[in-house]
Amino acid sequence: MKIVVCIKQVPASNDAKIDPLTKRIIRDTVKSIMNPFDNYALEESVRLREQFGGEVIALTMGPPAAEAILREAIALGVDSGILLSDRAFGGSDTWATSYALAKAIEKIGNVDLVICGKQAIDGDTAQVGPGIAAHLDWQQATYLVEIKRKDERIILTKRLHENGYDICEVTLPAVVTVVKGINTPRVPTLKGRLASLNAEITLWKPEDIDANIEQLGLNGSPTRVVKTEPPAPRTSSTIKIEGTPQQCAKELVRQLRLRSIV
Amino acid sequence: MHNPLDHIINKIYHVEILPPKQESTKLLADLDVFKEKYMRVMESGYCACITDNAMGLMAFQGHEIIEEMKLPVHSDQVMIHLNTFHTKADLDNILLSCKNLGIESLLIITGDGSDRLPKLQPKDIDESEVESVTSVELLRYIHRAYPDTFVLGVAFNPYEPPNHEFAKLSRKIEAGASFIITQPIIEQNPQVDRLLAEYPDIPVTVEAWMSKKLSLLSDAIGYKISEDTQFDPIATLKMLHQVYPQCGVYLSLVGFKTQYDLIKGLWI
Repeated sequence: MKIVVCIKQVPASNDAKIDPLTKRIIRDTVKSIMNPFDNYALEESVRLREQFGGEVIALTMGPPAAEAILREAIALGVDSGILLSDRAFGGSDTWATSYALAKAIEKIGNVDLVICGKQAIDGDTAQVGPGIAAHLDWQQATYLVEIKRKDERIILTKRLHENGYDICEVTLPAVVTVVKGINTPRVPTLKGRLASLNAEITLWKPEDIDANIEQLGLNGSPTRVVKTEPPAPRTSSTIKIEGTPQQCAKELVRQLRLRSIV
Repeated sequence: MHNPLDHIINKIYHVEILPPKQESTKLLADLDVFKEKYMRVMESGYCACITDNAMGLMAFQGHEIIEEMKLPVHSDQVMIHLNTFHTKADLDNILLSCKNLGIESLLIITGDGSDRLPKLQPKDIDESEVESVTSVELLRYIHRAYPDTFVLGVAFNPYEPPNHEFAKLSRKIEAGASFIITQPIIEQNPQVDRLLAEYPDIPVTVEAWMSKKLSLLSDAIGYKISEDTQFDPIATLKMLHQVYPQCGVYLSLVGFKTQYDLIKGLWI
């Protein structure tokens, strides 16, 4: 099975600043990490390869610094990493991003399955996975908590929704997105991390994936962000409850009820 | 297997070494620093104590660094911290590697988690009667799965409510702990005195805070220490030897550049 796992570098902290002109996140000043949901996609892709053999390729689009998450992916067990990086990709919305990723997947060739995290924690759109499927005209299944292989060309998926689960048969090639409960991601080993330091990362530019420049970046993005601002920081406070154990317990229950916690 | 009492009889310090963090951007340099510290501890005849994702911050495991860097192991000179934030597969991998490397001492702690660290589940270790795995269940599992392989120790926190902490300690001892290491103390502590009186037959090691920044201890002890508090770690270490001559000493945050050579000869 040839699997592509799509991953994204996102700001680590919740104090991200927004550029007032472009309405986009200023990424230079905050620490970056792999999108937490992508850890589950990575783990699932490596588990499928361990079970059925084949190859896992990590794919990301971003600035040169995004290479770091590809190395992290290699440390976690994927076979190779591809970075789409060029000024032409900059400012892409989910449509243009999924177009670029789809073109890269076509270029990789003979891909059976694309796995993405359900969404990135910076944009929170959950659109890129389905967007890739739309551009490739492949089947898709989203919010998966389980992936099983039925036969060479069909996977059985368990899909989470508001009222329970759907069990869906999906014909390969396909794109799936996964949620947190699907597995417990492994922690990188030192051996894996050392191997990743010397791994070669493939860099592709628009011309390498035969992408139409007009469909990339701001020009290729139908989304217009009118206003963006970070959510108000959460406030917290500490209350010290004093008295006898009975008094403390009574006051604790009162405080919890006041906050509608119990 | 070695007797943990030997560390006290032979005046062998426990020296904490923090392994490189997973997020390190200069891993090779950090590994070299780790190796240098480890080798200095070995050459001193002390015991290197390697933490396990301390404070929930992801770091590499002691056993894998020792394996990867081919560091020497003397069974009474290495102690690995082991907490409950591992998958069952990783836990067994750590224990098996320690066994193969000849590492006998393990400090079993519940530990601090994080979003990225998996928590050992009760069903993983056949402890279905508890809701969450603590050091007690982990101790029981290691004794069951690896009988007569490891010397297991536990932590004692003199800053917790005493009755609760002593009840917890009693469960840990029942589960097979054979030595105790306290949280850092900076003066004679009534709960440590009680500990020594209640468990006279179990080797106790007190933790000495070796950083001059005493305020960093605030989280461990549960109350705020002002950042401008003056603190002399070496004088405190000498005092701890005088107050607790029957105890071993665990040195946390030792400065290897300026402080390490000063501790030689303090334990008389």
